[in-house]
Amino acid sequence: MLPRFTWADEPPVVVPGEAGMIVRSARFLDLEMPPEFFDSWLTPVPHFFVRNHMHEPSTLDADEWRLNIAGEVKKPLTLSLKDLAKMELHTVTNTLECAGNGRAFQQPKVPGVQWQRGAVGTAEFTGPRLRYLLQRAGLKPTGKHVMFRGLDEIPGKVPPFIRSIPIEKAIHADTLVATRMNGTSLARHHGFPARALVPGWIGAASCKWLTEIKVLDHEFDGNFMKPGYRMPNHPISPGGEVNPEDTHPLTALEVKSVIAQPGDGSNLKSRSLKIRGAAWAGEAAVTRVEISTDGGTTWRGARLGSQQARYAWRLWEFDWHAPKAGEYTIMSRATDDLGRSQPQAAAWNPSGYLFNAIDQVNIHVAA
Amino acid sequence: MSPHSGIKPWTWTLAWLGFVAPALLLAQSPELPAGPVREKVRTACTECHDSHIIVQQRLSSKGWSKEVDKMIKWGAVVDPNDRTPFIDYLAANFPPEKAPEPSARVVPEKKK
Repeated sequence: MLPRFTWADEPPVVVPGEAGMIVRSARFLDLEMPPEFFDSWLTPVPHFFVRNHMHEPSTLDADEWRLNIAGEVKKPLTLSLKDLAKMELHTVTNTLECAGNGRAFQQPKVPGVQWQRGAVGTAEFTGPRLRYLLQRAGLKPTGKHVMFRGLDEIPGKVPPFIRSIPIEKAIHADTLVATRMNGTSLARHHGFPARALVPGWIGAASCKWLTEIKVLDHEFDGNFMKPGYRMPNHPISPGGEVNPEDTHPLTALEVKSVIAQPGDGSNLKSRSLKIRGAAWAGEAAVTRVEISTDGGTTWRGARLGSQQARYAWRLWEFDWHAPKAGEYTIMSRATDDLGRSQPQAAAWNPSGYLFNAIDQVNIHVAA
Repeated sequence: MSPHSGIKPWTWTLAWLGFVAPALLLAQSPELPAGPVREKVRTACTECHDSHIIVQQRLSSKGWSKEVDKMIKWGAVVDPNDRTPFIDYLAANFPPEKAPEPSARVVPEKKK
């Protein structure tokens, strides 16, 4: 079926500094990294995907900005950006992936931003440990969950973007209040001046434009915790209904790999090609990536890149010579140190979260 | 655009208001397909978000009905008499069997 309108007639989308990114939404801004940008272990900030649920703060005064820490603490704190800068800073290299990455591949289709492969990126995030801030505020034993609230500007009657994480993750040494990304201050689209950084977990856990940290004695239950960002407790058949009470909040990412090159639908002139991509596993470590060039009948190991860090993806590559001209289906499958491998089909769920099926691209080799 | 920690606050605010905001206002959105309620859909939906997020969906009538009701709950102004025509329009133009929407890219800024 032909589209009923053509993009060629539309004026171009301009977002300064973000050229080449795929526009999933211009307002609110949602930008996806295209496959050709999966070419460096650290993703340059202008190539890092942008996921906003609502409007970015229209003005943000770095000197006026404050971070409040309250709730189940003995001494509520109000900190400035300068206060944070004076603290001991830590750097965590983290692959951040939107829970909805790959939603476009779910069958049957589900509503939401139709991300394909690129709502993911890897960066060095730097800032004080969240646990240090909580210790300074005097964390009470009644504190079981830590809630983050950002300065997103809320349209209409949309519920505010507030989420919480369990205290165990909040006081983990690698969970940060990040003020820097790849060595420079956070960019506006990535949460300037400070964001939570919850490594190995879905991107939504790492709240941007952070302004409030509240320690709770219960899990926060607003819209973006319930019914949002939850998975069914049991597998359901594709297209099936889920009882909202029979679900749990999303936490860590799944094991996953994507094929960056060749792109799906490529028409290649040479029979010798380098297949490459990235693989990650949230809090776990990728142990191998296997490639199939015959539609999944046989698999051979790809070379993993030398650059690695606990929560970061591994780049991988695989040299292949097509035996003859024709159509091929290339597949990639990652396995991690928990023994998880990418499944043939991802666990279908009504919001299309955590899509991690074996990746595949179809190519035509001409010569 | 990455501000540095020593930046004067007004610089950041002006940079946003004077530079980024107009560029975003220029960011255009796909035209919605012709139909009896196109203008009403445009008015109700694009108050809060642009049309990219609409045209990339591929949903059944039941799926669209859930989305329209969620958006009404979240503040979209839709006359009760228009609810069903909205769902019919969206389900007719953006059904599951339609091919995926082509992806638009951010284009480089023009040199001044």
